This record gives sequence, structure tokens and C-alpha cells, in this order.
Amino acid sequence: MAKVTLNTSAPDFTLSNFEGQPISLADFRGKKHVLLVFNRGFV
Amino acid sequence: MAQLRQDYIKFEEEDTVILVVGPENETAFAKYWGRHNLPFIGLPDPKHRVLKLYGQEIKLFKFGRMPAMVIIDMQGMVRFVHYGHSMSDIPENSDVLVTLKKLNAERKPA
Repeated sequence: MAKVTLNTSAPDFTLSNFEGQPISLADFRGKKHVLLVFNRGFV
Repeated sequence: MAQLRQDYIKFEEEDTVILVVGPENETAFAKYWGRHNLPFIGLPDPKHRVLKLYGQEIKLFKFGRMPAMVIIDMQGMVRFVHYGHSMSDIPENSDVLVTLKKLNAERKPA
């Protein structure tokens, strides 16, 4: 399975948030760091 | 998630946004966010597009997905990667915050 590697460019993506608004990784470029959390499922 | 929520302000102070991606649909996300009053951006990924792109590990013979965390800096570079090998294998906030502080220290001219 593909995994991302340190110090390489992060693959960009766009997903809609749960309110239907599109969010891209690129939106934060030059503005914010991003902590991307892959959730293990809601309990 | 509860752990992250506790330290949300500290992440904000490090100029960091938190995006949470999961395989549930928007209804499940909206419910969970409402119930726990979460300040993060919740991104339902029912088609597993980003989950696959970033290689979240799935244990086939156990229930569920392994947690994973990635820090992407302002330049779009991957600076921290943690792929969990069990359900509880999640980095401590303090470790993540140390990485973010380092990134910000590099950014500010000495």
C-alpha cells in the first residue's frame, strides 16, 4: 500500500467537509501547517 | 480525538489546522461533531480517496482501520508521518507539538 514519505511533497486532495464545503490541502499552502488525522472510526 | 480536542488551542498557537479524515459519511461526521463539539475540520471520505492516497493501514482480520497522522508544513511538504500498528497507537500531542514548534522555529529567521 502506498505511504507518504518524509520530506516529499504531500499529495494534494479535495474533499467536501460534512457541511458540503470543498476543502483542499492546497488551501492552506503558505498559511497554515496541517495536521492530517486519519481517524480509526467513531465510537 | 478527545486528546486532540484538549490541546486544540496549542495547535492553533503553532499555526496549525487539524483535518480529520474518516471513511464515515457526512451524516455520521455531523452527528459526531455535534455530540462532541469538535473544533476541527471533518472530512468524510466514504470513497476512501484520501485514505488510499495516504495509505491508512487496514487490518483485514480485525475490525477497523489503524490510526495515522501526517504533518504537512506550509510549503506542502510532509514533515511527520505516523502509521499506527494498533488501534491505540497514536502519537502523544506533546510529540506532535514538538515537531510543529521545530517547523515554526525554522521558519522564523534566527
